[in-house]
Amino acid sequence: MVAKPRETSVKLAVDLGGLAMKNPVTVASGTFAAGREYADFVDVASLGAVTTKGVSLNGWEGNASPRIAETPSGMLNSIGLQNPGVEHLKEHELPWLRTVGATTIVNVSGHSFGEYVDVIESLEGTGLVDAYEINISCPNVDAGGMTIGTDPRSVEQVVGMCRAATKLPMIVKLTPNVTDITEIARAAEAAGADALSLINTLLGMAIDARTRRPQLARVVGGLSGPAVKPVALRLVWETSKAVKVPLLGMGGIATGTDAIEFMLAGACAVAVGTANFTNPTATVDVLNGMIDYCEQQGVANINELIGALQC
Amino acid sequence: MPQLVNEKARIVSNEQVGPRLHVMVLESPQIARDIKPGQFVHMKVPGAESHVLRRPFSIYARDAAAGIVEILYQEVGSLTSFMPGIGEGFAELIGPVGNAWAGPALYAEGACSHALIVGGGVGAAPLFMLVEQLVSAGCATDVVLGAQTKDALVTCGRYEALLGREPIVATDDGTYGYAGFCTVPVAERLRDGSTADGAPYDYVAVCGPEPLMKIVAGQAAEAGVKCQVSMEKRMACGIGACLSCVVDTVSGKKRSCVDGPVFDASEVVW
Ligand SMILES: Cc1cc2nc3c(=O)[nH]c(=O)nc-3n(C[C@H](O)[C@H](O)[C@H](O)COP(=O)(O)OP(=O)(O)OC[C@H]3O[C@@H](n4cnc5c(N)ncnc54)[C@H](O)[C@@H]3O)c2cc1C
Ligand SMILES: Cc1cc2nc3c(=O)[nH]c(=O)nc-3n(C[C@H](O)[C@H](O)[C@H](O)COP(=O)(O)O)c2cc1C
Ligand code: FES
Repeated sequence: MVAKPRETSVKLAVDLGGLAMKNPVTVASGTFAAGREYADFVDVASLGAVTTKGVSLNGWEGNASPRIAETPSGMLNSIGLQNPGVEHLKEHELPWLRTVGATTIVNVSGHSFGEYVDVIESLEGTGLVDAYEINISCPNVDAGGMTIGTDPRSVEQVVGMCRAATKLPMIVKLTPNVTDITEIARAAEAAGADALSLINTLLGMAIDARTRRPQLARVVGGLSGPAVKPVALRLVWETSKAVKVPLLGMGGIATGTDAIEFMLAGACAVAVGTANFTNPTATVDVLNGMIDYCEQQGVANINELIGALQC
Repeated sequence: MPQLVNEKARIVSNEQVGPRLHVMVLESPQIARDIKPGQFVHMKVPGAESHVLRRPFSIYARDAAAGIVEILYQEVGSLTSFMPGIGEGFAELIGPVGNAWAGPALYAEGACSHALIVGGGVGAAPLFMLVEQLVSAGCATDVVLGAQTKDALVTCGRYEALLGREPIVATDDGTYGYAGFCTVPVAERLRDGSTADGAPYDYVAVCGPEPLMKIVAGQAAEAGVKCQVSMEKRMACGIGACLSCVVDTVSGKKRSCVDGPVFDASEVVW
């Protein structure tokens, strides 16, 4: 049985920096592949968008195993952006998303500034992409990723280069592993980002005391899941006060109420990540929970909730 | 690929069968009907809300008519040590996940007539349905089981009933059967051939700790026999989406959840 959102009179459509989403729920990149694996469980076209796994120009092997460890109310991962390259995505994954009628956000990664641009250029004009999410925040690669996203000057430079390569909506994904996220957020906005997404995973580690060894082959990895939600909410709230562009909030969302909290903190849309692993219908369950909330609270249009936190 | 389901499964019983070994019986009609030997379920353990990840378990036995499946599990960490305390309730099972052992299909094609099945520890569980199919098809099948000690040989009785004779057994501490690892009787069998007629084996399946599978894979390769292994990696999504569970193979990294868990031993880079 494939889960679908239920009927409602609540207006759910949001505009994420020029990306029209039929409702505010997408998936967190890397937790949902390109949607097909979850099609037995949820109607992926009914989501606000599907965000695909980070893609680079040529394939990446990713990191050694073990790549994950469970932690209290969360998990660490060090997948390392394993992907078969943008040509594969273009030929085998994105056309399927088009066939089923899904709105598509492609998460773009690179080892170098130029590689981000190369990935975008190879997707431009294909009609297979509705928006890009520029991942300058992956903690699991040695070059590119988070090393770019922690320095405002690099952020301005790479976002500026990507901006010049596309007119499609461009979301820039921020890392929480910085002292002041608003500085990075402003740099991305100034360089032309249409929206910002946050948070990527928090750097962490887990140790097996018995064997005196790290639980991940890479030693450190990115923490996600309900354990990070309070940190993510705080960062969304701080960022929403620092920039004008809309935010895509994520980090530990597992229920409709979690998602509503992100919208109140200032997010225009939300992404469900780790919760998909616990519950393969989490995306639709979150959306239905948001509808419940709106109906119970007399919210006619979900946009009313964005930044509606009363401090 | 057949449709995956996330089935709400009532826990019918949950009993200790040996040292740190338990059998959980669940009502899961769709999975009981569709599951093939080698495939597994990805279980959301009830009452463990602070655990964000499911746990993969093989199906030890099923009764398709009654709609039930059985899991043999060993306490090794946080959730498997929590599971024995679960009384009534509902688990959620994603399944049937993954590919199946090739033995029955090879037999049907005439490519396998003498099988050697090797289970180490709880690795004996995912092989039971395979042996059922091979035996009922008429394939000459020998089973070698290894365990730490006599009390841990909890699958032995079922195998004996199925085969009509005792499986070949080794215990690490020598309390039953061969003393030492089950690789010793495996070597003997590969040398002497099937207990049915002395013919050489043409199919080996092994499941258990990785070091055991690696050794048996080497023994089978030396004897020139096709060998399959079931790779157990930590899994997050369990359905092919997250790349947590990759195995290094001669053709690159493959997902053990959906490209496996069964792999040709010759394909695995150990
Ligand atoms: C396809 C498949 C089928 C399986 N079938 C069975 C079965 O029939 N019976 C059974 O008892 N076990 C089976 N396992 C192993 C079982 O999934 C793990 O024992 C379980 O996930 C451990 O959970 P935990 O919370 O107790 O351990 P944790 O606290 O998560 O970890 C404790 C220890 O177990 C190891 N571990 C964690 N996950 C796995 C894993 N997936 N595979 C191997 N070791 C792991 C960790 O590295 C660690 O050393 C299977 C695994 C796979 C991948
Ligand atoms: C297994 C896994 C893989 C991920 N891969 C990516 C990726 O390829 N690109 C990216 O931008 N973020 C990636 N992330 C981060 C998530 O998109 C998300 O930012 C983070 O997990 C927080 O959300 P959550 O708590 O809901 O999972 C990954 C996360 C996980 C758990
Ligand atoms: S566990 Fe997610 S791909 Fe195998």
